[in-house]
Amino acid sequence: MAAIETSGLTKEYGNETALSDLDLTVAEGEVFGFLGPNGAGKTTTIDLLLDFIRPTAGTATVLGHDVQAETDAVLDRVGVLPDGFDLWERSSGYRHLEFALDSVGGRENPNELLERVGLDPADAERPVGEYSKGMAQRLAMAMALAGDPDLLILDEPSSGLDPHGIRRMQELVREAAADGTTVFFSSHILGQVAAVADRVGILDDGELVTVDTLEGLRETAGVSSKLVVHLDGRPGADLADLDGVTDATFADGRLRVAYADPAVKARVIHRLVESGATVLDFETEEVTLEDLFSAFTETDAEAVDGSTADDGDPDPTEADGGDPESAEVGR
Amino acid sequence: MTSAQIARKDFEDAVRSRMVWAVVGVFALLMVIIVAAAGTSDLSDSAATNVIAVFSNIGGQLLVPIIALMVGYMAIVGERESGSLRMLFGLSHNRRDVFTGKLASRLGVITVATLVACAVAVAMALVLFGSVPVVTFLGFIGITLLLGGTFTAIAVGVSAMTDSRMKAMGGAIGSYILFTMLWYPAVAGIHYVVEGDFAGYEAPNWYFFLLRLNPLEAYIQVTGSLADQFVWGIIGWQSIVEDIPNSALMDMNSLLLSNRVGGDLPFYLSDWFAVVTMLLWIAIPAVVGYRSFRDADLN
Repeated sequence: MAAIETSGLTKEYGNETALSDLDLTVAEGEVFGFLGPNGAGKTTTIDLLLDFIRPTAGTATVLGHDVQAETDAVLDRVGVLPDGFDLWERSSGYRHLEFALDSVGGRENPNELLERVGLDPADAERPVGEYSKGMAQRLAMAMALAGDPDLLILDEPSSGLDPHGIRRMQELVREAAADGTTVFFSSHILGQVAAVADRVGILDDGELVTVDTLEGLRETAGVSSKLVVHLDGRPGADLADLDGVTDATFADGRLRVAYADPAVKARVIHRLVESGATVLDFETEEVTLEDLFSAFTETDAEAVDGSTADDGDPDPTEADGGDPESAEVGR
Repeated sequence: MTSAQIARKDFEDAVRSRMVWAVVGVFALLMVIIVAAAGTSDLSDSAATNVIAVFSNIGGQLLVPIIALMVGYMAIVGERESGSLRMLFGLSHNRRDVFTGKLASRLGVITVATLVACAVAVAMALVLFGSVPVVTFLGFIGITLLLGGTFTAIAVGVSAMTDSRMKAMGGAIGSYILFTMLWYPAVAGIHYVVEGDFAGYEAPNWYFFLLRLNPLEAYIQVTGSLADQFVWGIIGWQSIVEDIPNSALMDMNSLLLSNRVGGDLPFYLSDWFAVVTMLLWIAIPAVVGYRSFRDADLN
């Protein structure tokens, strides 16, 4: 039985199509990453799974239950961390957890849940109105975990979290998955999906572009991670013949080396130094959502970049600006 | 049973709303001043039930509905706008649980607030008159609680039907304007169309019946019976859209329904039917609001 199965799932608002003909199957026990820019239809999909909104066409089942006909059975078995929520600000963190545990008949110790999400018990005594976004996100995650749901639905779970919090969130996802829980989470940041997802679905403008493992996506898209070496002068050596290097281009004092095997990086640097070139600095460019996106949707990388520009993504490649090369890498 | 959990959780939060208690406090103070003034200026022929008449005018028709609308209008749309409704769904509460839990909670809050307001009225009566007729005051408290319930149900119903705070607020304010400013002239207009003129001192039963379908008018009628004196509405429509001789306007009690209708009151103009009307004003908005909420896209 699939944890999530949708067939022809479509949601239209007047002439606007928020989600178009989605066929998606997420297996039980799988960690599925739902990737796409803001407004691609990720939250629409999640809302449809929770019967929060009704589809224009198509059907969806969660853990074998039709989401519209058997909503209660669905809601009893999922834990949800929504995107963009307010908690009940006059109540304490503990009261929230108590309510969550009461609601789902969970028997966990609130302190144990707090520890799992990394929220200080002293903070849990305070009214939630005083919480930072990250604290509220942690508390909401604890509430979603209450009662050990069979399916965790996390909508942009890392929003508002610092890097440490993001790592904790990823560990929680792995722990839940190790426990047999299916995890369905959405993100517009590839790195966070890549860190935990078994499979990834890419959604763009309401359409599912592709579903694959991350490796499969990289292969299909033909985009790879790159080593960027800042040189004083031109490179004195040819790198293309090194095993594991797929491409090398030089422009503006920067040598960009695309590679399939991460171990080749050291050899690239070594050869450059041997050739007498002056290496000023080097860094790696991971495959970004923009790269994958432009490869799969043939949209302008900058357009995708623009839609995610305010997300605080720590990915260093963004500092390079539009990076026209990332769009050309694929072909 | 998850609606009980929602109700408990929501009551804890809503009852802590400073706004509601600030308004209760201001009105209570206002009441003390008005009742004290009324009580001291004309003690010769006043009785403890005068407090009911005064309270049901300011407190009953202004304070209680306004607080009830404030208590209710954000009940559902607030969760919907803030996204916490998704969280409630994730905690396995369905739409029916959310709606009934919220309605029950907000009815609880208005009950507490109304009891506080009524306690002020009873205290004033005790201070001024030394004792109060217990049964009459219990009836008065009961009907005032019912009035709070009607406006809370209307506000929660509106809250369930709208998708933004502003629309819900507009609906809540609109409902109050409907009952205080539009209903009476509308019924008077119907009378004008049907009969060719405005209602006089005596008017057909259907005219009074249509007026009494307004929960505020129903409340006025019952408190008038309890206090055994005519209770004015917020706006004295009788002197505006009815053709009533000045002598009758001067002798207020002649405006009591039992005096304006010849013979025995038909059942649909009786006090108990007014109570039924108010109960319907709880049930109908609740059902309409729930059905709309049940069928809505909630994002």
